[in-house]
Amino acid sequence: MMSGVSKRIGSIKFTCLSPDEIRKMSAIKIITADTYNDDGFPIDQGLMDTHLGVIEPGLMCKTCGHKVDECPGHFGNIDLAMPVIHVGYVKEIKKLLQATCKSCGRLVLTEDDVKEYQARLDTMEELGSDAIDLREFAKETAKAAAEKATKEVCPHCGVEQLKITLDKPTTFREDGHKLTPKEVRERLERIPDNDLIPLGIDPNACRPEWMVLTALPVPPVTVRPSITLESGDRSEDDLTHKLVDVLRINQRLRENRDAGAPQLIVEDLWELLQYHVTTYYDNQTSGIPPARHRSGRPLKTLVQRLKGKEGRFRSNLSGKRVNFSARTVVSPDPWLSINQVGVPTFAARELTVPVMVTKDNLEILRNMVKRGPEPAGVVYAPGVNYIIRVDGRRIRVTEKNAETVAEGLEIGYKVERHLMDGDVVLFNRQPSLHRMSMMAHLVKVMPGKTFRLNLCVCPPYNADFDGDEMNLHVLQSEEARAEAHILMKVQEHILSPRFGGPIIGAIHDHITGVFQLTYKNPRFDKAQTLFIVSKMGENKLPEPIIENGREYWTGKDLFSTILPKDFNAQFKSHICMKCQKCEKDGCQYDAWVKIRDGKVLMGTIDDNAIGSGGGKILDKIARDYGADRAREFLDDVTRLAIGAIMVSGFSTGIDDEDIPEEAKRQIDDKIHNTFQEVDQLVASYRDGTLDQMPGRSLEETLEVEAMKKLGEARDEAGRIAGKHLGISNSAVQMAKSGARGSMLNLSQMAGCIGQQAVRGERLSRGYWNRTLPHFKQGDLGAQAKGFVKNSYKSGLTPTEFFFHSMGGREGLVDTAVRTSRSGYMQRRLINALEDLKLKQDGTVRNTADSIIQFHYGEDGIDPTRSVQGEAIDLDDVLRDVLGEHYADLLSRADERKISLYATVEKDLMEATTDEDDEQEETEYDGGGDE
Amino acid sequence: MAQKDFINALEKKGVPTDTIDIVKEKYTNQTDLVKASVPELVDIGLDKETAEDLLTKLGKKEKVTRAPAKAKTASRRKAEKKQPEPTVPLVYENPDKSKKYSAFEEQLFKKCEELKLNLPRRVILNIAHRLEGNDISKENLVKILKVANQKYQDHLMDPNESAGILAAQSIGEPGTQMTMRTFHYAGVAEINVTLGLPRLIEIVDARRIPSTPMMTLYVNKELSGDIDTVKNIASNIEITTVLDLADIETDLHNMRLFIVPDLRKCLQKGLLDQDGNPVRGQSRPIELIKEKVSRLRGIVVVEDVARESLPPKVELAGEAGIGYLCLEPKEPSFKSLQKALDLVKAAKVKGVEGITRALLKKKDDQWVIFTEGSNLREVLKIDGLDHTRAYTNSIQEVNEVLGVEAARRSIIDEASHTLDEQGLSVDIRHIMLVADLMTADGDVKAIGRHGISGRKSSVLARAAFEITAAHLLTAAMTGEEDHLDGVAENIIVGQPVTLGTGAVNLVYAPKKGASE
Repeated sequence: MMSGVSKRIGSIKFTCLSPDEIRKMSAIKIITADTYNDDGFPIDQGLMDTHLGVIEPGLMCKTCGHKVDECPGHFGNIDLAMPVIHVGYVKEIKKLLQATCKSCGRLVLTEDDVKEYQARLDTMEELGSDAIDLREFAKETAKAAAEKATKEVCPHCGVEQLKITLDKPTTFREDGHKLTPKEVRERLERIPDNDLIPLGIDPNACRPEWMVLTALPVPPVTVRPSITLESGDRSEDDLTHKLVDVLRINQRLRENRDAGAPQLIVEDLWELLQYHVTTYYDNQTSGIPPARHRSGRPLKTLVQRLKGKEGRFRSNLSGKRVNFSARTVVSPDPWLSINQVGVPTFAARELTVPVMVTKDNLEILRNMVKRGPEPAGVVYAPGVNYIIRVDGRRIRVTEKNAETVAEGLEIGYKVERHLMDGDVVLFNRQPSLHRMSMMAHLVKVMPGKTFRLNLCVCPPYNADFDGDEMNLHVLQSEEARAEAHILMKVQEHILSPRFGGPIIGAIHDHITGVFQLTYKNPRFDKAQTLFIVSKMGENKLPEPIIENGREYWTGKDLFSTILPKDFNAQFKSHICMKCQKCEKDGCQYDAWVKIRDGKVLMGTIDDNAIGSGGGKILDKIARDYGADRAREFLDDVTRLAIGAIMVSGFSTGIDDEDIPEEAKRQIDDKIHNTFQEVDQLVASYRDGTLDQMPGRSLEETLEVEAMKKLGEARDEAGRIAGKHLGISNSAVQMAKSGARGSMLNLSQMAGCIGQQAVRGERLSRGYWNRTLPHFKQGDLGAQAKGFVKNSYKSGLTPTEFFFHSMGGREGLVDTAVRTSRSGYMQRRLINALEDLKLKQDGTVRNTADSIIQFHYGEDGIDPTRSVQGEAIDLDDVLRDVLGEHYADLLSRADERKISLYATVEKDLMEATTDEDDEQEETEYDGGGDE
Repeated sequence: MAQKDFINALEKKGVPTDTIDIVKEKYTNQTDLVKASVPELVDIGLDKETAEDLLTKLGKKEKVTRAPAKAKTASRRKAEKKQPEPTVPLVYENPDKSKKYSAFEEQLFKKCEELKLNLPRRVILNIAHRLEGNDISKENLVKILKVANQKYQDHLMDPNESAGILAAQSIGEPGTQMTMRTFHYAGVAEINVTLGLPRLIEIVDARRIPSTPMMTLYVNKELSGDIDTVKNIASNIEITTVLDLADIETDLHNMRLFIVPDLRKCLQKGLLDQDGNPVRGQSRPIELIKEKVSRLRGIVVVEDVARESLPPKVELAGEAGIGYLCLEPKEPSFKSLQKALDLVKAAKVKGVEGITRALLKKKDDQWVIFTEGSNLREVLKIDGLDHTRAYTNSIQEVNEVLGVEAARRSIIDEASHTLDEQGLSVDIRHIMLVADLMTADGDVKAIGRHGISGRKSSVLARAAFEITAAHLLTAAMTGEEDHLDGVAENIIVGQPVTLGTGAVNLVYAPKKGASE
């Protein structure tokens, strides 16, 4: 039972195992290479000896007397007949041999040198150098000594030093003569403790002679369990296989040596033993062939077990498997609140929450237990799967014993009840790129088989419903639930820490809906109004406008009902035409939004007001009125929008891109003219009259000019097409309001797709001097180099289709490369920055307590709470204090805009080049593959 | 952490444990301890001998040993005293870059001080900016400042927030939305610049040389309108080789090289004007080339070549008054001729090493020089350029020439420009934190195994990142100790991390029997 304060590990010290230690901690000495006898029982002093722990049920550990799962396992040892070198330390051994005297073992530096190095080491330590700096310095010392050894005699005993070389991986040579591990060990033994410190070795943690192994620890069987196959055969772990090899050769070596076999044979066996021990540690040592399984698969030995993404560290220690989690497909449900998640009953009956029985909830829980693990009834009611008694025993509740268990329930018991409405759970979608990828939701148990979520949380999770699956975790402790409630709930994450604006907000139809509700302020009669308002919860109808004796409500008035009563804001809509001089209140496009005291006075509500990724109204509500109010607002606004869009209905189809014949002819003419212009360019290029651009070759000049001309043609085609697509067109409504798509997408559908590009250039590769055999060699005209003059609607010719696929393919490759590259970059960033935290004094420090920033972000502002990067919203402050006078000040400030350090919002539409829309295209195509 | 290290260091120096226990109550690091005098140490409960012993062990010899070995130390001290000779004090005046505040701004600053408001300067200046010139009553001014301060306090980050992870996620997450290709530089279509994800990776990697080094150079204000002067400067920056100015003819028969200046090329490079006359202040192309080529090793300039032996093209050039240059390798062999040819081809006539191209572009009435390739150190030596505005995208170069603070600024500028250009908004504070971390110890460190991550104090954290086995083995050899202060190591051992709510150790112990 865990209760109260748990103990903390203070620190972990790393040291080498000495042979003595290996023998001391060994439960048994292993001598036989065999594992099991004919009856299937472990052989004594074999690799599966029961002194090393047990893996089979029924057997008892001879060391601790526990059974499977209770005995942690115990180490054994192998005494090596001859010493062998530890591969991991080969470089260190070489360094030591080179830096020390062959006869007296002292460091080949004079006392004064040593003192000087020691002094420098001390200063470094005092100045707070980290372990790595000290290690670098030790390397330097060793190098100095090694260099001295090649030139001079030992200053302590005057013996001349010979050159030590290393034959990878583990053979040392002195002037060409082989040094046996035994000799190496003897030399290392001679090095005095005091001479090790300047070399960066802690003699208390690791004597150098321990780097040459004389005893090998044998890991417990629990670390290398054997598995029994269906056929009844046993299959041993890779480590066991390797240890068998070691034991076998060790045995042979000992026998041969004792029998006085020829030196040659002993040496061969010794080398073989070295090979097996080497591969036992690291089976990817360069220079030797990896040890293989009978099937040819390389063995996974110690280093391989720890290393890499699937290794112990990253796969089992930094990330762990958990219980009380679920995963299934997600689907949308607009009637859920943003902080809810629909959980299928099926999953809810498996996932449980532990509840402590107290005198207050005893009866309630008793009822639950009575219901058993599968309560009947149409309405979902939580049952119980397990109860845990005070002594820690876990009792499974079944239909049969439910009554009796319920009667026996006492205070202090724990009841693992099913999930029920209102429980807090964590919801997550991979890749978890930011903290909004895992948020706390409140459970709503529902029929069906999928997790249901509100559409507004799609952007933070980056989820869609083309088959995406998500994970759900049920919290098991009171502390965890408290933290989830306070810190992790969806509404706490409406504002993104990345840019200080809302990342959770209305999307797609929500935006079209409010756009239709507010653009040019339409009127609704009573039936329509009630239909719209009925989608929201309780709401009071605003005062109607009475005309000709009939009641009307305007869209802006309806929208105003969900705003906080004292809400004020003003900003530009997404539909803003970006006129030279903004008319503000006099905007003829209804694009200037002005809200006073919770009333929308003018302007269209759209993406810029409530959208995810920068909705101004949402932003302000979340910051000034709190997360819960923002949640309420978001729930209301999405429902209102759905009501509004359902009044007239909304759909888009291919006929939205219909343009009159006249317009088509104009586009054709324009493109035709451009083709001729390009041909002229090509002609002038051929006869050399083309004006070369400075710093560019003639070919490049032509390409640039042609690209420019063709780009203009595409834009012009789009403009002509756009003229015939009015705001009543639903595709245009979506583009203008920011719900989905752009005018560029539209012009590609209705007008002309334009130039296809690979690597930012016109298509050129394929056949000799031409892209396809349909063109003449050396044709530099528009169509031969990938210009698509058709629109998506009119359909592409075969060559155009091919060119379009070329551009599309590049996008796909790009996306694939990008995800892996950016993934690695993020891993590195996280790893480098994970330890930084803001201390109480406002500084940012790392774990070594050294200061990284004296004042976080130079002003201590939390980017989440910042106003688009600024510390405070000055407009608000001024209006609060000065009131009406404020309007005058504001207009002045706009003219004298101060250049900000932080990012300024960019108009993407204007910056889009044809390369970029290629991108978008593929992203859309790629969406289905996920 | 620091405390533990301090104690370890003392133990290593052989200070007895009971002494450490007393000392650590008052001192937290060695520097303070060494500064302490014996009586001070006696005050905190050490006897005199142990105190002296302690200080000796810490290497503070002079003061303690003064009494017994006076003579020796005296002479030594004399020698020491001599060393810091009163040299001429280095007078260095910091250029006064601080902004002059207007009277109104000063007034606001004063007000804030009076009200004891801790507003950042930027906020105050912004307020001043908005209000200046308007008639605002005193009370209202105070009110504004107070409200602003209230909001500022509300927007502060909470202590123990994991600022680092916030920054890493905010920069890493948009990475998936960035493009991979190189782009033409905005404004100068001729120069290719790496942007998007590859550039961002380059920045956090702290590469020595960016894949597309580039500089933006401004000319002194008074010269900036004059295209010819600017052109001249640009042509002095751009590296110009012999081949860029002239054709080289090889005469295999006589084993000679002929250099014939090409007028069109010279015109392009700005050595000649439209009429073929040398630009003012410049000598003729042929003289320039001769001056540089004659310095090359293994090559002799041959004067007075017999007319008959000239190749026809060279002869023509000679007649047209363009001039030519005849060269001979010192050793008459084909091999050395070839060598000479290569040498002459690549010989630099003028320009700055590393800058392959310099282009001009007009930017609000001013001519600006954009270069491909970067060499800040050399460019700063060129007259006529506005050195204060010279800009390079090579962070390492900035670090080497201008120092680490400038490098930090350069990282921030480059990273936020890269993100901006992609239309991604990322708060500047995140980028600043990354830049500050990279430059924290005096030079630019990469984010990754060779930089920050490889120098973490925790063995487990390093092992979990990359090169697992090597880290564990060396840790065992050097007897490293992991104090479990960071995030990764605590997750590995299964403990709450030290950030956020995990950083607070507050336990509520209910009174026994109070509620029952």
